[in-house]
Amino acid sequence: MNTTHPAAATVQVQEPRPRRKWSQILRVALLYLIAILFLFPFYIAVVYSIKTPVETAQSPLAFPTHIAWSNYAEAIEASNFFLALRNSVLTTVGTVALTIAVCSMAAYVIARNNTRFYNFFYYLFMSSIMLPFQVLMFPLYKTWSELSLLNTIPGLIIALTGVQIGYFAFLYVGFIKTVPKELEESAVLDGASRYRTFYSIIFPLLKPINSTILVLSALGAWNDFVVSMILVQKKEASTLPLVQFQFFGEYTSQVNMAFAAIILSMIPIMIFYLFAQKWIIGGVTAGAVKG
Amino acid sequence: MTHRIRDEWVKFTFIIPALLFFVLVVVFPFIRGLNIAFTNWDGIAPTYDYVGLRNLQLLFTDTELLDPIKNTLLFTVITTICINVFGLLLAVALNTKFPGVNLLKSFIFMPMVISLVLAAIIWRYIYSDIFPILFQTDGGLLGNPTTVMIGIAIICVWKEIGLAMVIYYAGLQTIPKDMYESARIDGATSYKQFTKITVPLLLPAFTYCIPLWIGTGLRQFDYPMVATKGGPVHRPRRLPCMSITMNSLISKPATDRCQPLCCLYLF
Repeated sequence: MNTTHPAAATVQVQEPRPRRKWSQILRVALLYLIAILFLFPFYIAVVYSIKTPVETAQSPLAFPTHIAWSNYAEAIEASNFFLALRNSVLTTVGTVALTIAVCSMAAYVIARNNTRFYNFFYYLFMSSIMLPFQVLMFPLYKTWSELSLLNTIPGLIIALTGVQIGYFAFLYVGFIKTVPKELEESAVLDGASRYRTFYSIIFPLLKPINSTILVLSALGAWNDFVVSMILVQKKEASTLPLVQFQFFGEYTSQVNMAFAAIILSMIPIMIFYLFAQKWIIGGVTAGAVKG
Repeated sequence: MTHRIRDEWVKFTFIIPALLFFVLVVVFPFIRGLNIAFTNWDGIAPTYDYVGLRNLQLLFTDTELLDPIKNTLLFTVITTICINVFGLLLAVALNTKFPGVNLLKSFIFMPMVISLVLAAIIWRYIYSDIFPILFQTDGGLLGNPTTVMIGIAIICVWKEIGLAMVIYYAGLQTIPKDMYESARIDGATSYKQFTKITVPLLLPAFTYCIPLWIGTGLRQFDYPMVATKGGPVHRPRRLPCMSITMNSLISKPATDRCQPLCCLYLF
């Protein structure tokens, strides 16, 4: 006996089901609640940064009755904010530029030459992806102090670039393998040198992966804490995460001012996030899917 | 022939800059670290002697070093499970159209873009000031050896779940919609659809995400370091990993632990 007549089945599916609608509303409400929970720490940081110590002690959760902007002025002065900002910007720009230049070139020859010789370098770079940074911590510190690279921005840039090479060269190789060879072959036939071919033909074709790597390595360099913690111990070369960390050690009694410093250093990356949101999330997932 | 050799050399020059950085930052220190693992170097002294496998032996007899290993494993299990399970659930829940869905996605991803230091410091104050008000606890989540792991795991999950969510979300976009439609016509419940369609077709995302967070967990250092300020040497015994390492380097007390630690990370 065949009860599931095709027409009957479609009718059943299209029938409106009020129970579903309610569960959908409930689900959306729950999701909004979760999102609020995720934002809660940010709210706390903002509220702390604009309160006076008295108000914080009375009610840590409540929004202040009057906004203490002076916390910000004090924070800028006490944390040497602009020096740290400058160091962070320099470090990030340097690391991103070097990473893209160096990794794309290396990945290009590795992807195009499937020989044992170049595969060796591929696996060499790749092996560092799973290597915990702690293994390098002591010896890197020692090497950097011997080369007088400790407490310098170039030293930090070199270290961050070196640490990132494994992962980004890996992403580049994967992408370059999907770029057709024909274009560069015709350029070679026209007598262009290898460098010329790379910079005028290949590099422009790498635009999608370049932007992915730009985003990933910028976030990595901007937020890096461990590498810079090891290699920078002086204020002159301290980046924002380091300054925040030390600042909180020194000013535990002035929590509100310290939180103002936190908000200040969050502003640049938040602006970057709001404007480049699609790009950031796209970059992160592209890295994941292709990796 | 000479032309070919020249061309091979030109090709090789492409790899030289990357190789220089890599050797200087990774290969050379790695070899040095390997060397240190077999010596009694204390981290500061100019001279040291080779002691063979003694450090490895210390590693397995020193119970204070076994604790952080156990903690690291536990931390890895907790965070990997939480981040992946909740990240996947969020991705599935957000894979529908409703007002504000994109806003919610960007809110949940937001902790991922701020630095770990900021995240840990903010949470420190949430534990000490806000938790007592909300949950009537004493708020010593990070100060108490038995709960410090949970405290740090919460920070880690809060910060990194957004990444899991967007990766799983991207994976969900690759699953054709008509599969669900035909399953629905065949009378499959949403639970059945999830286990029979979503999970198997998300396999590539799983094979990326799960090793990613197992790796992150096992290498964990910065969350406990920032959340508990590194702590005095005797305190981090129960912390996930290795605040001891940092301490011995930064505050430079003569410590007898740094060679076993080098060893620990290498093996």
